Amino acid sequence: MPSSEEQLLVKKIQEGDQLAWSDLVLRYEGRLTNYAQGKIKDHASCQDLVQESFLGFLANINNFDSSRSIQSYLFGILSNKITDLLRSYGRLRTVETPVDSSGNQKSSPYIDPAMGASTWYRGDEKKKLENDALIKGLGLLINQFVQRKDYLKLKSIELLFVKGLSNLEAANILGIDNKTVASHRHYANNFIIEHLKKLNLSPDVFPQFSQQDQD
Amino acid sequence: MTITKATLDAFIDDHLNEQDSIRVEKAVRESQELHTLLESIIASREMGDHSIGAIWRREHLSCPTREELSSYKEEALDPQRIDYIKFHLETIGCNACKANLSDLSSTKGSLNNADANEKHRQFLENSKILLPKKQ
Repeated sequence: MPSSEEQLLVKKIQEGDQLAWSDLVLRYEGRLTNYAQGKIKDHASCQDLVQESFLGFLANINNFDSSRSIQSYLFGILSNKITDLLRSYGRLRTVETPVDSSGNQKSSPYIDPAMGASTWYRGDEKKKLENDALIKGLGLLINQFVQRKDYLKLKSIELLFVKGLSNLEAANILGIDNKTVASHRHYANNFIIEHLKKLNLSPDVFPQFSQQDQD
Repeated sequence: MTITKATLDAFIDDHLNEQDSIRVEKAVRESQELHTLLESIIASREMGDHSIGAIWRREHLSCPTREELSSYKEEALDPQRIDYIKFHLETIGCNACKANLSDLSSTKGSLNNADANEKHRQFLENSKILLPKKQ
C-alpha cells in the first residue's frame, strides 16, 4: 500500500503542481537508474530509459490507481522498457523461434492446453477484482509471517512462488526436508483459497493452486 | 535447475539472477517445448490471466521498505529480519531492492557528472509541459 505521503504527491501532480513533479523525479530517479544499470551498462541509455519511464508515468497520471505503490509502478514501466531495448539487441525475455543445431528455425505451433475456457470470457472488471483479491491475500499472508517472525515459511513460499522452484529445490536451499516445504506450500495455498472464498471468488481461475502436491 | 512454468514466469519478469537467466534463455532457444510454453505464458498474461509469482514480483509484496533497507545497511534491525532481507537480496535476487540499496549506498547519487546533471535539469524543465493544467 502506498503511504499517505505518496498519495498526496500523486494528487498534487494530478493538479499540475510542478514542485511535486520535481520531488517525485528526485525521489525515484536514483533507485530507477541503479536498477537500469544492473541490466544495461551504458549510463546514457539508462538515463534515457528512466526519463522515458517518468514520462510514461506522467502521461497516464490521471488514470493512476492511487492504491498502487509508485515505486512498483515505475519499476514496472522501466522493466518493460529495458525488455524492449534488450529485445532490440536480440536477447532476453523475448519469444524468438528456436533454431536447430544447423541454425534452421524450428516450427512453432502455438497450442496452449493450459489456457482454460475461463480465460476467454472473464471480463476486465472481473480480472481486476481477482487480481486485487490476490494482491490483498498474498499481502495478508506475508504480513502474517512477518508479524510472527515465521521467516522460514516466508522464505519457503518466496522460493516456490517468486523463484518458481520445486519443493525439492527450495528444501535444498533452505536445508530442510521436502515435506516441510510441501506443508508450507499447502498452508499458503489454503490461506489464499480461503481468502478468495470469503470474497466469493473462485480459486479455480488460479491454476497454481492445484500444484499443492507436486514433488 | 528444473525449468518449470513458474521459472519461466520469473524469467519473463526478470527475476532470475544473471546466471539462471542465461541458462533459461539458452534452454528456451534450444527446446521447442519450452519455447511453446513461454509463448503460452506471455499470451495468457496479455489476456489478463494471473500468476501468483507475477503478481508478487510486480507488486513487490515481500520487499522491505526503503527505510528498512537503510536500517539493514546499518545493521540496525532485528537479526531475524536482517537474515530475511539478506535472503531476499541474495537468494531471491530482488533487483528492485538491490537498486534501492545501491542508491542508498551511493555517496554521489546517480547524477555523478555535469552532463547528467544538465540532462536531468533539462528533463525536468521539458517534462513540465506534460503536467495537467492547474484548475
